[in-house]
Amino acid sequence: MSYGYTGKILHVNLTTSEITVEEPNEQFYRTYMGGSAMGMHYVLKETPAGVDPLSPDNVLALCTGVVTGTPISGQSRLTSVAKSPLTGCIGDAQGGGYFPAEMKFSGFDAVIIKGKSPKPVYLWMHHGEAELKDAGHLWGLTTGDAEDKLKEELEDKRIEVLQIGPAGENLVRFAALISMSNRANGRTGMGAVMGSKNLKAVVVRGKQKPTIADPERFKALQKLGKTLLEPTGMDDFGKYGTPDVTSPQNKSGGLPTYNFNSGTFDKHEEINGRTLYNEHLRGHEKDEQNRFGRDTCFSCQIKCKRVSQIDEGPYKTDAKYGGPEYETLATFGSYCGISNMDAIIHANALCNMYGMDTISCGATISWAMECWAEGKLTSEDTGGIELNYGSAEAMVKMTEMIAKREGFGKILAEGSQKASEIIGRGTEEYLITSKGQEAPAHMPQVKRSLSVIYATNPFGADHESSEHDPAYKAYPERMEQIGLTNPQEKLALNEEMMRFAMVTQHLSSAIDSLSVCAFIFGASFQLYDSNQLVEVVNAVTGWDTDITEILAVGERRLNMLRAFNSREGIGRESDTLPKKMFKRPLEGGRSDGYALDEKEWEAALEDYYRLCDWDTKTGHPSLKKMESLGLGWVVAENEALSQVVT
Amino acid sequence: MGSLEDYLPDSERGQSVLNLKDESTIADLLSHLKIKRRVIVAVNGDEEKGSEYVLSEGDEVLVFTVISGG
Repeated sequence: MSYGYTGKILHVNLTTSEITVEEPNEQFYRTYMGGSAMGMHYVLKETPAGVDPLSPDNVLALCTGVVTGTPISGQSRLTSVAKSPLTGCIGDAQGGGYFPAEMKFSGFDAVIIKGKSPKPVYLWMHHGEAELKDAGHLWGLTTGDAEDKLKEELEDKRIEVLQIGPAGENLVRFAALISMSNRANGRTGMGAVMGSKNLKAVVVRGKQKPTIADPERFKALQKLGKTLLEPTGMDDFGKYGTPDVTSPQNKSGGLPTYNFNSGTFDKHEEINGRTLYNEHLRGHEKDEQNRFGRDTCFSCQIKCKRVSQIDEGPYKTDAKYGGPEYETLATFGSYCGISNMDAIIHANALCNMYGMDTISCGATISWAMECWAEGKLTSEDTGGIELNYGSAEAMVKMTEMIAKREGFGKILAEGSQKASEIIGRGTEEYLITSKGQEAPAHMPQVKRSLSVIYATNPFGADHESSEHDPAYKAYPERMEQIGLTNPQEKLALNEEMMRFAMVTQHLSSAIDSLSVCAFIFGASFQLYDSNQLVEVVNAVTGWDTDITEILAVGERRLNMLRAFNSREGIGRESDTLPKKMFKRPLEGGRSDGYALDEKEWEAALEDYYRLCDWDTKTGHPSLKKMESLGLGWVVAENEALSQVVT
Repeated sequence: MGSLEDYLPDSERGQSVLNLKDESTIADLLSHLKIKRRVIVAVNGDEEKGSEYVLSEGDEVLVFTVISGG
């Protein structure tokens, strides 16, 4: 008997409409534990090398993990992996809400999707069964409208829907998968992959609750979570959500401003967590934000999600589209020099309605704003829209035009890197991308170990792939659990910080494989520490895993992602940072004058490769490393890989 | 900074002048403010200090949390 997981993986071929169920053995689940690692098993086996990301042969895996759907905080997450249309590298995106748990209840741990349907369809997974249904009437609808229609026609308000919006249909390269109309598997363009397959939605419903191996131990961990709320500060985190970091980031000089040219935004207080909570969350007029302005994921006690509503005016916004996270406040706010909270809330809602990643969308617009400021773009390019820093009106207009691929939006819908290739004129100087993915709102100039993670991460610049520098010093007891006992001074970029980056990356990678929340489980500020994560996995599954095995799962997944890129011929030459991070010192505030030093950075990069056991010349994983992680089959089964992984 | 401003009495934009006993440490300050959670404390600028650090008259103390991501 399997504990935690259903033991069933659904395979769907949209070209032939064939649907099959695979029942892998326990060893399979123990090796990958779910999420991204499990998805990569299928992507590496079934996706041909060199595949066009928007072609039928690109395999899209949607995976939960072995603890998804159990009643404990932070377990309802879904990982999506496929080749990315934004970067041409592997793509990977996680999202929360109620969909992941409900998918488990429908009787399946994961669904592996390939092919292309001749007409729009949705996949209906319910009570251990699955079928494809016509979605012609849903095509073109916003996420909120499509979800309403699906609830009506399936006569069940408790279905959960993971879908693309019009942006995914229009193949916007940073289109997202959206559930609940406000949760996003945001990054790397997984929505465009689903759109290219004519798959509008995956709809789930079921009652198959996962069985827990050791209910007593599990109950004790649930209780422990409640006692940890105050000492970890996760109660405050729930109240103000991720936007709580906005002003502290600014104080440290790490709030990306004016397209990453400064780390300090003089109007940060207008877009921070307190302002959002006090003046913009639903219910704020009667001080009832906790009741009406916060939302949560299945069985999570934190309630960190924001709900905002604007009743009238140009930025009228329906509460069903949620509220902005910190990343969104930064990308549509400080990146663009904008402090109009209503406009940011509205842009966030547009992204959720149309199905787009708020990070890439806001950052692509801020890149265009810098090009405009430098005279590289004119109103002839933009169709008359003046893309001035600080123009909330232009930002909101452009967001909508990108989703619809209208006018200049058609070019920006390609993402900033491809847009710069189309436009030319030296606009690449202003990019803030790694591997073609726009940088999230944490600055490598300030938190320096992130510089190597942004550059080397197989799916492009990412802030959730490792712990950030200050955590090493701030959480010594928790860091010791994963063997990190030698914190370094601020701004250090040396071998020990690379070890910190790599080890915490392995833990984050395991978290994305277990498909649990990075705010609830982790090596530093999170509710549960690394050892408690192990306890939860063991209580649910009945296994006797330990932190070493968990870290190995993370390392396995990281090397699978990396090997995918190696197979595509992508290695060290793509492990780069935006030029401006070296050449243009930050202006103003605590980080005034900060820039990365190229020589120091190259040395750190080599340290990181050596620690990872990746070739320092090519950046590819070594055969020895792949074999030690049980991934010899990946090399053996992929001819292109066997030539570069030696 | 941020949500920690809730712990600061009569603060204006997250700042407040506090009177503590002589020889008070950072631990005393946090206890005075009833902050039980893990925080980082910097005194007079960038320099991070441990809980046993003894504060002096006129010190500017910055209290913040380390939450990454978003």
